[in-house]
Amino acid sequence: MRIFHKKDGGIVQLIDKDKMEEWSVELPLIFIEYIKDKQLDRYEDPKVKKEISAYLDEILKDVAVPRLISVLEGEEEEDKISALERIKEISKKNVEMARPIKPYLEKLSKSKNKSVVNLTKDISNNFVKADRRKELAKKRKIMQEKEKQFMAGKISGEDYAKARKDYLSLKD
Amino acid sequence: MAKKQQSKNWDLKAAKDLFNEYIEKGSEKREIPLPEDTIKIDDLNRKYTLERVYNLVDDIIERIYNTGKPSILLPSRSSTNIIWDQENDLLLLGKQIIEKQFHSLTSVADITRLMRVLEIINELLVKDIHATKREVFYTDVKLFKEQKTSDKSIEDAATMLYTTRNSTHIVAAPKGTCVGRLRIRDRNDIIDLEGLGSGGWTISPMLANIEILESDAEFILVIEKDAAMMRLAQDRFWRKYPCILLTAQGVGNVAVRMFLKRLSKELNLPVFSLVDSDPYGHYIHSVYLRGSKRLSYESPFLATPNIKLLGVLTRDLDQYKIPDVARLKLEKVDIKRIKDLLNEDFVKKNKKWETDLKLALKMNIKAEIQALSSHGFEFLTEQYLPEKLSTGDWI
Repeated sequence: MRIFHKKDGGIVQLIDKDKMEEWSVELPLIFIEYIKDKQLDRYEDPKVKKEISAYLDEILKDVAVPRLISVLEGEEEEDKISALERIKEISKKNVEMARPIKPYLEKLSKSKNKSVVNLTKDISNNFVKADRRKELAKKRKIMQEKEKQFMAGKISGEDYAKARKDYLSLKD
Repeated sequence: MAKKQQSKNWDLKAAKDLFNEYIEKGSEKREIPLPEDTIKIDDLNRKYTLERVYNLVDDIIERIYNTGKPSILLPSRSSTNIIWDQENDLLLLGKQIIEKQFHSLTSVADITRLMRVLEIINELLVKDIHATKREVFYTDVKLFKEQKTSDKSIEDAATMLYTTRNSTHIVAAPKGTCVGRLRIRDRNDIIDLEGLGSGGWTISPMLANIEILESDAEFILVIEKDAAMMRLAQDRFWRKYPCILLTAQGVGNVAVRMFLKRLSKELNLPVFSLVDSDPYGHYIHSVYLRGSKRLSYESPFLATPNIKLLGVLTRDLDQYKIPDVARLKLEKVDIKRIKDLLNEDFVKKNKKWETDLKLALKMNIKAEIQALSSHGFEFLTEQYLPEKLSTGDWI
């Protein structure tokens, strides 16, 4: 077990990442997601939270992603489908966790297997939606800033209209 | 020692000190080798258990070809072949081997049952499924006649294969429950043992599918009785005092003991037992501590040698002013059990334990865990346990 020491003398123990080598391919991701969603906030100690987050990133980088990639690049169609189904679910909830898989999607979209293609499409759409949400948030922030500047007479009506147009076109 | 029930925040200092000691020692922990005059049993996966089944059958066939006298060899499980290993504090099986021959009607029946069990083991392993001891009995009621006969053949078969019973895919029916600060995996499902209500998780006998994922517990408490477990679960004891609670409703079966062993070994936490203040309670503690004689060949996989007897101790009855109405007199069978325990080497070695058993004999008393409720339902969780874990009052 990997041990994390809390300031109050308590500890948190998490399974060693080496043991995950024998797990089914999607399980390390499920584990990371579970600890992040359900446990992390309960540890209270900020130092331990930070260390555990770093350990989960380590699991993602060293175990979860390489294992998924080996399946996605492999020959077993059923394994690919079950891995993609899991990635689809994860990308819906937390797209950042699925991002390391993004470079492999283009090749998979050309697969002869219809299920693989459809799942790849769904995952890609989740990335597009997430990227749009991110972009929109960024533009919204700029828009708010421009509104303030316009009201203060610091920018022209033309500049404000341009920013507004950019924002609305992305929103649509 | 507090005499009156009070709502107090106990620091659990003694238990925490023990916990820190274990955590510090964790990396230095060494495996003490088993004595040379004992047989080595392995906990095997499906592939290797099957290999052993085939090798065993090959040996028997070869012996028949070579000698013309069919027989089988297996380690003796009689009491003369059970050895107490002082260093590891375990009951182990010695190297005496017995030969069962097809000469008499009794041994033919015995060997036929054994071979039938081997056949069942083979089937379970090939299909990668598990069966309970009861199911094995019902596969051939005519041959086994009663379950204790099939149980004996199952244990003999595991000994012949030099492996644990769990490795043969024959398991006991689920019996114990566990609750508290623990997250486990059962195949692809993550189970949170804090989120299952007061009933907790039924300890699966298919432990090969179980893996410990996460825990922030600081100790493990093994409870003899369901009623006491219910009290602790209802009070969500683990929330205030980070722990894992486990009960087997009496003597722990193989699955419960194996699971406890695994918790203790992997999480490296102090383990305490809470049993009735009677010789049977002490016996239950002893089975967790150093294994049972019947399953001595599996002791290294079942025993938890660092378990501490937290209570209820005979001396607690006076210290916590348990009223006379809640105390019981020892019966003849209790007196015999205490005397038997006092004759055991592992009790003789532990002076505090010996003293407490002698005190029970002298005072001629016993009591159930529930006797503590004479001070109120919450006395167990709010005073007795926290106080003992804070002061280190255990054996």
